[in-house]
Amino acid sequence: MATLLRRALFPLRRLPSSPRPAADVPFRARSHGAGLLYPDHIPTSPLQKALLAAGSAGMALYNPYRHDMIAVLGETTGCHTLKVLRDQMKRDPEGAQILQERPRISLSTLDLGKLQSLPKGSFGREYLRFLDVNRVSPDTRAPTRFVDDEELAYVIQRYREVHDMLHTLLGMPTNILGEIVVKWFEAVQTRLPMCILGALFGPVRLSAQSLQVLVSELIPWAVENGRRAPCVLNLYYERRWEQPLRALREELGITAPPLRVQGLA
Amino acid sequence: MAAPRTCGLWSYCGRGLSRAKRSCGLPGLRSSSLWGPLGARLLSQEKRATETHFGFETVSEEEKGGKVYQVFESVAKKYDVMNDMMSLGIHRVWKDLLLRKMHPLPGTQLLDVAGGTGLAWVLGDAEELPFDDDKFDVYTIAFGIRNVTHIDRALQEAHRVLKPGGRFLCLEFSQVNNPLISRLYDLYSFQVIPVLGEVVAGDWKSYQYLVESIRKFPSQEAFKEMIEDAGFQKVTYESLTSGIVAIHSGFKL
Repeated sequence: MATLLRRALFPLRRLPSSPRPAADVPFRARSHGAGLLYPDHIPTSPLQKALLAAGSAGMALYNPYRHDMIAVLGETTGCHTLKVLRDQMKRDPEGAQILQERPRISLSTLDLGKLQSLPKGSFGREYLRFLDVNRVSPDTRAPTRFVDDEELAYVIQRYREVHDMLHTLLGMPTNILGEIVVKWFEAVQTRLPMCILGALFGPVRLSAQSLQVLVSELIPWAVENGRRAPCVLNLYYERRWEQPLRALREELGITAPPLRVQGLA
Repeated sequence: MAAPRTCGLWSYCGRGLSRAKRSCGLPGLRSSSLWGPLGARLLSQEKRATETHFGFETVSEEEKGGKVYQVFESVAKKYDVMNDMMSLGIHRVWKDLLLRKMHPLPGTQLLDVAGGTGLAWVLGDAEELPFDDDKFDVYTIAFGIRNVTHIDRALQEAHRVLKPGGRFLCLEFSQVNNPLISRLYDLYSFQVIPVLGEVVAGDWKSYQYLVESIRKFPSQEAFKEMIEDAGFQKVTYESLTSGIVAIHSGFKL
């Protein structure tokens, strides 16, 4: 019983602690960097993860503008699923390369000038157009903090950074409807609990009309495409900028959306 | 900290990062042109000497002021709601008890340090107050002294600005005296509070610092001795809520 309790309370990596009598105090090694698996890592006990998962889910429902809460939910509930995703990536040649080279998508790593110069209709050019029209930047993704494995932390980071690519591939804008459609696609593709929860609970704030369109047309389309496409995390997007978007969609088996969702298609 | 309007109140916000920087470290060393092994050894010895704690982390004294400042900049927006959530509203009872002990009367010259904002407020440094000697009847500091880099200097300053007969009152987190409650309190502090900070305020690290800094603060007895060292007399303390907080009192006689 005591050991069970102890395991629930201590973070995964036990470290020599400062002279503290209380057994429930997790040691924070931030000062020395020791025990941190990656720069932004915050080690957490299973109890803390459970509380974070519940709290972030509640807060995200209460205040949908708290995108950081969605991120936290993903990190605290994705433990098992991330392993499955990582193993899947390892088995695929392109995916394995991504795991090895760990490409990052941010304003500092993207050559915007080069993307701008690409022909119209190319994946890179269309991605840039998507960022422009929706006024989003690849740098708004929060860094991973609560994943206790450095490779899995990369996998979830990659998933986040690839999210905008999916918008481009699916032709979905960044309004609430577009986001829900992408979430359904991601839920089928990744099986991440956060995606599934987001897909199921995201629609609670929609109008009846939007809900109707979503359920009758968009969700079936997203699910069908999600099932058909190979794992989207296995695509080395950075090497496919020149590829025509149409050809890429064909390669993945992604069909045109059943209707034009307001915003960028 | 709120106070009745009938008192002359200087609610005083203890920031003053640049001041704190000046009072840290040894001036001579910076301008020293002693390079080579001897100089390097001197440098590292002095570096070790000016280290302190920031929660469970070790930082230089110079850094601490800045880091504490950042914490409070970060928590300011949700300060009140977080206090209510973390303490389930009990912090109001503690502050009320402090006020009762103080028993302010019309005409009492009261200085409240690290108060955030108040009726008439002045920006300065708890370790170097911008007031003359022997000015105030009462000096209070609630949940502030824990964050000061040099607590002894803040206590000395408190002594200086008080009139003879003046009273020092400090409300601060302290050591829990009951072992069972201590375990529950630690559990709550380390497992729940940073999570609350993350979910409500999007800020894990500040609240991690909060619960760690509480553990680093001296016990009731040790703090009493520090207050006596600063020149105060008739120093007493009263533990509240099993010692989660304590009110220390001393007089300048």
